[in-house]
Amino acid sequence: MAQAVVAKPALARPRSSNARSRRIVDRIATAGLWVASSFVVLLLLLFIGYEFFRGASAISWHFLTGSPTAGEAGGGIGPLIFNSFYILILTLLFTVPISVCAGMYLQEYAAGGRFKAIVQFSAESLATVPSIVMGLFGLLVFVSAFHWHFTAIGGALTLTLLNLPAMMRVTQEALAGVPATYREASMGLGATKWQTVLKVILPSAIGPLTTGVVLVSGRIFGETAALIYTAGASVSYGRSAYDFNPFHTAETLAVGLYQVHREALVPDVDRIANGSALVLLVMVLVFNVIARVVGRQLTVRFTGKA
Amino acid sequence: MVGVRADKAHRDERIALVVLMTCSGVFVVAIALILGFLAFNGTRLFWGDHYSPFAFLFGTNWDGFGGSYGAAPFILGSLVATGMAIFIGGPLGVAIGVFFSELAPKRVASAFKPAIEVLVGIPSVVYGWLGLTLLVPAIATVFHLPDGDGLLAAGIVLSIMILPTVISLSEDALKVVPTSMREGSAALGATRWETITKVLIPSASSGIAVAVILGIARAIGETLAVQLVLGNAAIIPTSLLQPASALTSEIVMDMGDAPDGSGFKHALFAMAFLLLLISMGLIILIRFALRRRT
Amino acid sequence: MMTESQSVTLESLANKMKIEDLNIFYGSFQAMKHANLDVPDRHVMALIGPSGCGKSTFLRALNRMHDLTPGTRVEGKVTLDGIDIYAPTIDPVTVRHRIGMVFQRPNPFPKSIFENVVYGPKIHGENNGKRLAEIAEKSLRAAALWDEVKDRLNRSALDLSGGQQQRLCIARVLAVEPEVILMDEPASALDPIATSKIEDLIGELKKDYTVIIVTHSMQQAARISDFTSFFLLGELIEVGTTSDIFTRPKDKRTEDYITGRYG
Repeated sequence: MAQAVVAKPALARPRSSNARSRRIVDRIATAGLWVASSFVVLLLLLFIGYEFFRGASAISWHFLTGSPTAGEAGGGIGPLIFNSFYILILTLLFTVPISVCAGMYLQEYAAGGRFKAIVQFSAESLATVPSIVMGLFGLLVFVSAFHWHFTAIGGALTLTLLNLPAMMRVTQEALAGVPATYREASMGLGATKWQTVLKVILPSAIGPLTTGVVLVSGRIFGETAALIYTAGASVSYGRSAYDFNPFHTAETLAVGLYQVHREALVPDVDRIANGSALVLLVMVLVFNVIARVVGRQLTVRFTGKA
Repeated sequence: MVGVRADKAHRDERIALVVLMTCSGVFVVAIALILGFLAFNGTRLFWGDHYSPFAFLFGTNWDGFGGSYGAAPFILGSLVATGMAIFIGGPLGVAIGVFFSELAPKRVASAFKPAIEVLVGIPSVVYGWLGLTLLVPAIATVFHLPDGDGLLAAGIVLSIMILPTVISLSEDALKVVPTSMREGSAALGATRWETITKVLIPSASSGIAVAVILGIARAIGETLAVQLVLGNAAIIPTSLLQPASALTSEIVMDMGDAPDGSGFKHALFAMAFLLLLISMGLIILIRFALRRRT
Repeated sequence: MMTESQSVTLESLANKMKIEDLNIFYGSFQAMKHANLDVPDRHVMALIGPSGCGKSTFLRALNRMHDLTPGTRVEGKVTLDGIDIYAPTIDPVTVRHRIGMVFQRPNPFPKSIFENVVYGPKIHGENNGKRLAEIAEKSLRAAALWDEVKDRLNRSALDLSGGQQQRLCIARVLAVEPEVILMDEPASALDPIATSKIEDLIGELKKDYTVIIVTHSMQQAARISDFTSFFLLGELIEVGTTSDIFTRPKDKRTEDYITGRYG
């Protein structure tokens, strides 16, 4: 049954009159999104580049290992770097066990009752406490109530509180990534839940867990507001600057950057500040790279897959 | 399996459970203590020094050593700086989240993503320093002023700082929308931009709302970066280009100088308590936004 | 691969679409090889074949859906009323205005029933409220859904049953006033009653639209289609009237499939 061929409008001349303007809008929007995203990446490169450019001249062996001066030019940031690492390690010592245990509990044990809901709400609330407020809490408890005054351990405990939620989330995500089949196999062989978690699940999750811990460490390294009024803003000039006593004041690099600008007691504030900022930036990059590399290596070693 | 081995295993199990639950309990105790200490010290200004809460919240005259604790300049400063951060960083962050979710080819995404991760890790004091040495002079030049510090500088710095949060949460929210939505819209003759704006973003709206709220939370609690570029003048801001102050920056600046037990110190604690209340209020808002989804 | 009588039958009809030497690649894998097909206007053409034979891949090339999947390459000619839809001057958006698609799983937007139906007309520029309401009613009636939803047009589309959602998706496509409707196993996710409603609907639709339907059910193809094409391993093996394909297949492979030699 033949049909008369009816002339239809050509495809090139679309039926709806707005197709052309819609296509233009689509193209402009797409271009805009590309520009916006590239802009952000370029911004980062600008920051790093600019700081490298300005801070590089300050970097020297003396700068990185020498002590700050009490008023002359030429001071170094050695003790500050030491304090940053010292407080970082102290903080991790407290944060990691507590968060990992809590994360294990929430992820593997808690069935979803009241307790779990309360803990999760507490963790979420803890996560939004601003760092300065946490610092004031540390001031009230460790500095005043415990009469410790400014101490490294006071700072570390404050940072612990600040980073518990993040570390717990890292743990939960790492554990959630472990396939359910591992748990089933282990329990099926007669292992208790704890044995399963300790010997099967935790090792499988070690890659993402380590990555997360290193990334959080990067943030701990750069923390300032919570430390100013807990660990203090001065380095013990008189005693040995590399002080292992946790009950002494410990100014970190990040706090030092803030202080040197604020106090302006030395003539070469800019040099020291730029050098400190550069070191901090480099440390961020280092932590990021280590997190990825180590995480991947551990995952391969413990699970056999890349 | 009977015998000593099984008994030990079960005893370990019970010890483990106690340890794990205790560690979980730390979270609950911590937030309770923080709320308690901050509430006690934060309201001391009112029940101890008998200062009027109304005068605190709405008074515009701040003179720490002189006994006048009108915190409105700081509250306004925080609100304006945060508002600007969201105004700039919110749409920009969502747009870049859209970019990563819908537009970027895999190679481009894997090149751009690490940059975002690094941006997250940069310490706030470094952002403040960069703002102070790069942005503030630039603003001074552009607007022909002697100094470029003020709310504009703070707003710009904050918007950059909240970008990674908004970007990654928006991207996650969009990725959850099923592909069938995109196909259905395309099959009806929609352009990609139309699919994004008319189908995907509305579908992901609650996730995007959470992204923005978390951005607000981050901005309002930010201390160091803000303090370094705001100029720290305790007056009601009349222009974006004048020195101003915020709750966080004021606390960090004067907490060391305020004498113990003074009204000054209590007023600073009251500001800290206010910050805490705002942050917790934002969490409740987030839970509300998430519940609306279903 | 057609007999004289078949080619007379098919060629006596005006072609709505003509596919010439269509090749489709996913990366380096060739999913469709040298396919040629004439699709007669206002009839139902069924595409059958075992799973993985490429029939869905073929269908998606007809409204340029492969443009959305990076890494996919389409070569050859697909014409609508004589115009190649893959020509560089043609905007795929306008192609999909004239060639609509219904998917295997119903995919209504998380909006109201009304908003779903008028989504297409709205983006194509219609914003007169009265006309939109008319379009909505007309499309929902044509999709045999109007009576069931006319009182709750503002309720969420996600509250409808699976069968109703699929008919909503069909209404949504009809609202754009296409000329060709592509259907990719539209009833496979539905129960038998919903399926038979969709099949009845297709019988009505072919009066005004050209329908090309992929189906894994030979019984369905036999019930609703005028013409049938058989695909196997990325090749179009045989085309003909449905009764010819099912009772007098020319190619042994077609016969094997019809008689159930392979799924």
